[in-house]
Amino acid sequence: MIGTIHNRDKFLNQIASQLNRPRISAPIERPTWKYQPQYEIYKDASQDELLEILKEHCKKIHTKIFTTDLAELSGVVNDVVAEYGGGSVVTWKDERFSKWGLDSLMKEKWPSENIDVFEWDYTLGEENVRQAEKANVGITISEITLAESGTVVLFSDKNKGRTVSFLPAASIMLIPKSTLVPRMTQAAVKMREIHQKTGHVASCINFITGPSNSADIELNLVVGVHGPIKATYIVINDL
Amino acid sequence: MKVTLFATCIVDMFQGNVGKATVELLEKLGCEVEFPESQVCCGQPAYNSGYVKESKEAMKRMIETFSNAEYVVSPSGSCAFMFHEYPHIFEGDPVWEPKAKALAAKTYELTQFIVEVLKIEDVGARFEGNVTYHTSCHMTRLLAVKEPPMILLKNVKGLKFTELPGKEQCCGFGGTFSVKMAQISEQMVDEKVRHVEETGAQYLVGADAACLMNIGGRMDRLGKPVKVLHIAEVLNSR
Amino acid sequence: MAMKIGTEQFKERVENGIHDDFMRGAVASAQDGMSQKRRAATTEELGNWEDWRNHGEEIRQHVLEYLDYYLEQLSENVAKRGGNVFFAQTKEEANEYIRSVVQKKNAKKIVKSKSMVTEEISLNAMLEEEGCDVVETDLGEYILQLDDHDPPSHIVAPALHKNREQIRDVFEKKLGYTKSSNPEELCYQARVTLREKFLEADVGITGCNFAVAETGSFCLVTNEGNADLVTALPKTQITVMGMERLVPTFEEMEVLVSMLTRNAVGQKLTSYITVLTGPREELDVDGPEEFHLVIVDNGRSNILGGEFQSVLQCIRCAACINVCPVYRHIGGHSYGSIYPGPIGAVLTPLLGGYDDYKELPYASTLCGACTEVCPVKIPLHNLLHKHREVIVEKEGRAPVSEKLLMKAFGLGASSPALYKLGSKIAPAALNPFTSGDKISKGPGPLKAWTEIREFPAPNKERFRDWFKNRDKGDKNS
Repeated sequence: MIGTIHNRDKFLNQIASQLNRPRISAPIERPTWKYQPQYEIYKDASQDELLEILKEHCKKIHTKIFTTDLAELSGVVNDVVAEYGGGSVVTWKDERFSKWGLDSLMKEKWPSENIDVFEWDYTLGEENVRQAEKANVGITISEITLAESGTVVLFSDKNKGRTVSFLPAASIMLIPKSTLVPRMTQAAVKMREIHQKTGHVASCINFITGPSNSADIELNLVVGVHGPIKATYIVINDL
Repeated sequence: MKVTLFATCIVDMFQGNVGKATVELLEKLGCEVEFPESQVCCGQPAYNSGYVKESKEAMKRMIETFSNAEYVVSPSGSCAFMFHEYPHIFEGDPVWEPKAKALAAKTYELTQFIVEVLKIEDVGARFEGNVTYHTSCHMTRLLAVKEPPMILLKNVKGLKFTELPGKEQCCGFGGTFSVKMAQISEQMVDEKVRHVEETGAQYLVGADAACLMNIGGRMDRLGKPVKVLHIAEVLNSR
Repeated sequence: MAMKIGTEQFKERVENGIHDDFMRGAVASAQDGMSQKRRAATTEELGNWEDWRNHGEEIRQHVLEYLDYYLEQLSENVAKRGGNVFFAQTKEEANEYIRSVVQKKNAKKIVKSKSMVTEEISLNAMLEEEGCDVVETDLGEYILQLDDHDPPSHIVAPALHKNREQIRDVFEKKLGYTKSSNPEELCYQARVTLREKFLEADVGITGCNFAVAETGSFCLVTNEGNADLVTALPKTQITVMGMERLVPTFEEMEVLVSMLTRNAVGQKLTSYITVLTGPREELDVDGPEEFHLVIVDNGRSNILGGEFQSVLQCIRCAACINVCPVYRHIGGHSYGSIYPGPIGAVLTPLLGGYDDYKELPYASTLCGACTEVCPVKIPLHNLLHKHREVIVEKEGRAPVSEKLLMKAFGLGASSPALYKLGSKIAPAALNPFTSGDKISKGPGPLKAWTEIREFPAPNKERFRDWFKNRDKGDKNS
């Protein structure tokens, strides 16, 4: 459905008249920028070097980070959830969990230990949000991972609810090592490419860097305000 | 080398000792110093208060006064910077813009001139005492002269240097700000005085007569024992 | 709250600020801490920081130059994704539109994430008139709102002027809070109270850090994650943006977001940077079903094309506020505007007029600290000076005594003969006020100076006389 646009011509004509020229509606060429310093950062870093940068930065953003091969992934995820006190877990509906061998953990082990697992299911509507709200741990997967800032990038869709990463008290983000890039620059380029190729952008793309925090009281940093109070990254060696 | 001195009105009227030290120092360094009698004020007080029309007349006088100079040197970073502002102020003026540009291109603050033009880093001075230095805003930020005074002070024999905490902060002078916004200016200069005291220095040195007049005037009023000196006076002592 | 805060005159506000010891201590340590973090994240960490600034500037200048085109592109792309766009030339138009959306939805519960432009248009007041419960969800804003709408004093840390005890007292009075003033406990209380508000809200309202013309997206930058909940849970979302806050593509958005977070809080990126495009998609479960983008002019277009245009380059990082020596001593409320500090002293008179704000451009020593740090290279101190020029020469609002003085200055300083005469008679003229080598109680314009400091007595022998006499005699004497 196409949305409405109100009051546009008068508004834009006023701008053009202040700029002292006729209104410009025909597409203009994107300028060639004189400066592009953002591409210089970690320009030639290898995936291993980027991983080291990511690990180092996690110390500054109150985030635990583990690296693991696929064979040990299930054990690591289990340990982290146990450390967070078990309770209930909410995950996206994503075939990668199964591909990475997490089925027996999520579908057998946890339920047998009274850890409720809720997999996002859009057919259930609002129930998803209720489940996410009462979950202790949310598990998501990073599509692009920014080494410089220690940031995971999540793309929403019908199987990947936004609230899985905000509402639970703790957040676990799985990071395929292959998703590591130097910084936000490469993510922005990729987002543009996706848009140009498919004509589509996910309705919510979230750049998340550690747990939520605030310094609004006497500039004291408090970790855990509205979103998760704790966050863990698990890097999967998929290369 | 022939140097034309732009003394500034504060030095001319209130701080003759700074002018004298500047002349003597430049002569010691082998310069021939001239002082054109027709120099007035650079126009900054009126200009900064928004009286652009009024100040332009003074600026034109200054441009003419120094038109034949080879190098214009001033013992004030702020006033030297004002000459560098002239080209912007006269932008688009077919007569005065080129003249303003010519003046700006040959105008230097004293320490900048010594280090960058004369290429001298040790002026052979001796000064016994514990010194701290006020980096004035216009000189440091706008004229972008940061290193020269530090280089020259470092090479003064006998001088013990202590860095001023919060040195990048304005002292609260700001021309007419000091009287128009006196209540705020007082708070600013008081913080500066506290920082000067923290250094334990006997001398506060600077390269801008106006800032020194502000900080010095406040320290005097508060009965602080710190002595205020212009950098030319330190560099000229033997 | 409108842009204007408080009813006191400038001098009175400054007097209040200067005597607020807690606020001044908090502001000074915040400035020192934030500036140090900013330096570490900009000049020190990025060797080519000047290139970043130049890039930031070229992006912002380009967008302003083609603002009509980019806004058209943005609105087309928002509509394509099913969002509704309303262009509001005035704050009344913006409020009317938002009121109609809220009425149509029969909405009573509203959550908001921090937005300066909604403060500027007094949106909350309108919504409260409509009988809505409007809750600010940024912790700092929430504290201020609970405290009977205390105005913000900093654009990034709005409650900077409050200490933990004051906050505890507010929570006790308004929320029945019984625990300590420990920030963690206070935060937890806010988390619990606000979580309820998020879950039951009908409408979520946000500002906009940057909109992206090419895709119709916009991004929100927070550390708390409150903007995410505001945009994920309520069924209706309204986003309000100042008309200049946009970029051509994701690539420029990225650059400006990086510059914003590094300058505002010294972080490489904040915890949450959320890029939203349209309402939720067909089978999505969370995110708004309905999305409205309100693009606000409210005086901005008058700034375009004129000598103050560059102020619209601002990305609201507050770096200038964090280095301003005047803000340091008087605090945010003294500016009488939700936009304080150097950016406020430039922007507020442009949006709010000189009647209320003619003092602000003079609340600066023109020290240039603001210009030096601005990541998008707004020549802030030059713009403050430009205001003074306009006030004096176009508006003719300067005090008569000052005008006369400056006239005399113009005359005296431009005539070498008069200048010489003036400087020659100065010692005699000031003699009655002089004791020793100083003046402690000066007349006229010297009065304000000598209330605080000594003024030097003019030298008996001017420098020029010394030089002349010396010229005649022996140079080496």
